[in-house]
Amino acid sequence: MKVRFNSVVKTLVAASALVCAASASAQSAGQWTAKFGFNQLTPKVESGDISAPALPFTKADVERDIQPVVIIAYGLTDNISLEGALGTPYKHVIKGAGSIAGTGELGTVEALPPTLFAQYRFFSPTATFRPFVGIGATYAYFMKETGSGKLTALTNPGGAPTTFNIDNKFTYTAQVGVAMNINERWFTDVTVNKSRLRTDVHFSTGQNQHMKLDPVAVVVAVGYKF
Amino acid sequence: MRQMNFALALLTAAALAACGGTGSSGGDQTHKVAFTQQVTFGDSLSDVGSYNVGAVTAAGGGKFTINGDSTSTNPALTGLNWTEVLAAELRLPKPCAAQTGLQGADNANPALDFNVAIVNNANCFNYAQGGARVTNPIGPGNRAVKPELGEMTVPVVTQVANHLAKTGGKFTGTELVTIMAGGNDVLMQLGALSAGATAAGTRAGAAAFPALLIGGLVATVPAANQATAQTNITTAVQTTAAGGGSQTQIATAAVTAAAQLGAPLAAAQAAAAKAGADAQAAGTAAGNQYAATEGPKLVAELGKAGAELAAIVNTQILAKGAKYIVVNNLPDVASTPSGKAQSAATQQLIMAMVDAFNNQLKANLSTDPAIAYVDLFTVSRDQVANPAIYGLTNTTQKACTTESSLTCTIKTTSAPDVSHYMFADDIHPTPYEYWLVTRYVLKDMAVKGWL
Repeated sequence: MKVRFNSVVKTLVAASALVCAASASAQSAGQWTAKFGFNQLTPKVESGDISAPALPFTKADVERDIQPVVIIAYGLTDNISLEGALGTPYKHVIKGAGSIAGTGELGTVEALPPTLFAQYRFFSPTATFRPFVGIGATYAYFMKETGSGKLTALTNPGGAPTTFNIDNKFTYTAQVGVAMNINERWFTDVTVNKSRLRTDVHFSTGQNQHMKLDPVAVVVAVGYKF
Repeated sequence: MRQMNFALALLTAAALAACGGTGSSGGDQTHKVAFTQQVTFGDSLSDVGSYNVGAVTAAGGGKFTINGDSTSTNPALTGLNWTEVLAAELRLPKPCAAQTGLQGADNANPALDFNVAIVNNANCFNYAQGGARVTNPIGPGNRAVKPELGEMTVPVVTQVANHLAKTGGKFTGTELVTIMAGGNDVLMQLGALSAGATAAGTRAGAAAFPALLIGGLVATVPAANQATAQTNITTAVQTTAAGGGSQTQIATAAVTAAAQLGAPLAAAQAAAAKAGADAQAAGTAAGNQYAATEGPKLVAELGKAGAELAAIVNTQILAKGAKYIVVNNLPDVASTPSGKAQSAATQQLIMAMVDAFNNQLKANLSTDPAIAYVDLFTVSRDQVANPAIYGLTNTTQKACTTESSLTCTIKTTSAPDVSHYMFADDIHPTPYEYWLVTRYVLKDMAVKGWL
C-alpha cells in the first residue's frame, strides 16, 4: 500500500513537472484501463414552444451538472479501443425561458447517458501525448422528472400537481480528446463529447414540448493501465 | 464468471434500491410565500357573488361568467372566476363576497325579487362588486341607472376603506391583495357619450328636416303654384309639428298640401323621402361631431381614473402595510363583443380610453417591489389575435344567451360546446378565460419570487 501511494506521489510530481520523456507505454492491444474523473454535462438547449394551452413562446432552459465518473477502456489494437463509463446520474435544473423567463426553477430531471465509444488513438502507445477521436452509441435515459408548485401554478393552477416525462432516446456521440502518459501505468486525459439529442417532454396537462438538448460533456480524468 | 454475474446482480439491486424509484412526480407543491389570506378589490371581473341573492340565485347565477360547476360536462366549465382559481392554487379558503344584496325591484316571488337586504360579511374579504368603478359610486347596473336591477356598485376607493375599517386601518403584510378595475369607467363614459351623441343627432336631424322637406316639395309643384305652395306646405308642416306630429305625419301633411297644388304624388313622396334621408344624414353628422368633440374629454376622464386607482394602491394599500399586491391593468375592451359591436370610430375611442387608463395607472403606480403590475391588456389582445395557442375556440361570440352573464348557466349557452369560448357575455370572460388569466397572474407572481 505504502509503495503504491509513493508511486502516486511520484506520478503527480512527474505530471506537475510535465516531463516529456517518451519512456512510458500507453494503451496497447489487449490492455484494460480505468480512469476516474469529473464530467460536466452542459445541454446546449434550443427549446421548442410548449403546446396549447400556453402563453405563446413558453420555453425552458436546462442547467448543467457535474458528476464523478469512472471510465473503463479496452484496447483492441494499439490504436483502436472501446470505452464505456459508469457514473451517477446528472441532475439538471429546468428553468422557465422565453415568455416565462424569470420564473426560475420549475423542475428537475436526472439523466443517465450510457455511451459505448469506439476510439482511434493516434501515435504509438509510448507517445507522451496521444490525441484520440471516438464515435459512440448513446442511450439518453431520463428519470425522476420532478415538478414543483411553480410548475403547477403555471400550467394547472388550483388543480392536480403537474408531472412530466421526457422521452428516452437512442442517439450518437462524437468524441475528441487527448491523453498524456505520465509513466508506464498512469495517465491523465481531457475529453470533449458532443451528442445529438432531441427529445420530447410530455406534461400531465396534455401539453408537449420539443427540446433540442445536444449536450456537451467535458471530462477531466486520471487513469491507470492494468 | 458465475460469481461475477451474481455480484453484478447484487450491485444492480443495491443501486436500484438506493434510487428509490425512477418515475416522475409533482415535486414539492408549496410556494415560497405562505399567504395567509386573499383580499380582493375590484369589479365584476373579480366579484364572487355580491349579487348572488334573490332572483339571481333563483336563476342559478351570481358571478359574471358561465355559472355553476359543470365540470362533468367539460372540465373547463368550473364556474370559477380568476380570484377563486388563484385562491385554490395558493391553498387559501374559497373567497366569499364581503357584501351581498340588491336594491332593485321588489317582488314577493323570489324568482323575480331584485330587492334583498344588504348584508356585510365580516369574515369575507372579496370586496369586488359588479358595476364598481374606481371612485364614482354610480356604475352600470346601479339603481340610479338601472332601477330594476339595483346593484350596489360600491367603488374601489370605498371597498378599500371598508376593509381598512374592518382591520384597524392596516394590512397584515402576509395577505395577497388583488386589485382590478376601470372597465366600468369605460362603459359608463361610453354610455353617456352614446346617449349624448344620439340626442345631439336627433336634435340636429329634427331641426334640419322641415326646411329640407318644404324646399323639396315646393320644387315638385308646377311653377305657377310655387309661391302658394311655399305658404301652404309651411303651414301644414308647422301645424302638424305644433300638434306633436311625428316626422312621418309631418311628411304626410306636407305631401298632401303639395299634391293639392298639382304636384305629382310620386314626385312629392320621393321628395319627402329624400328630405327625410338628408335630415338623417345631417343628424348622423351632428352626432359624430358631438362624439368627436366629447371623445377626448372621455379619454382624459379615463386617464384620471387610472391615476386615481394608482393613488388608492399607493396610499391605501401599499402605505398601509400590504407586501404582496397584484394590480391587473385593464384588458382590451375594444376586442370584447361589446367593443366590436361599435363603429370603427368608437372602437378607436375605446382603445384610447383604455390606453389612457393603463398609462396613467402604470405611470402613477409605485415601483415598490411589493407591487406586481400584470399586463392583462397585452395578453387579452393577443388572445383575440392568436386564440389557438391559448386553447381558445371562439373569441368573438358570446357563450351566453342571457343579456348579462350574471344569470348565465350551462342551460343558457349559445352553442352545444362553449367551454373554450373567451367571452360569456358582451364583456365578461368564461371560466376558461378566467383560468388563463389566473395562469398569467401566477406567471408574474413567480417572476416576483412569490411562488
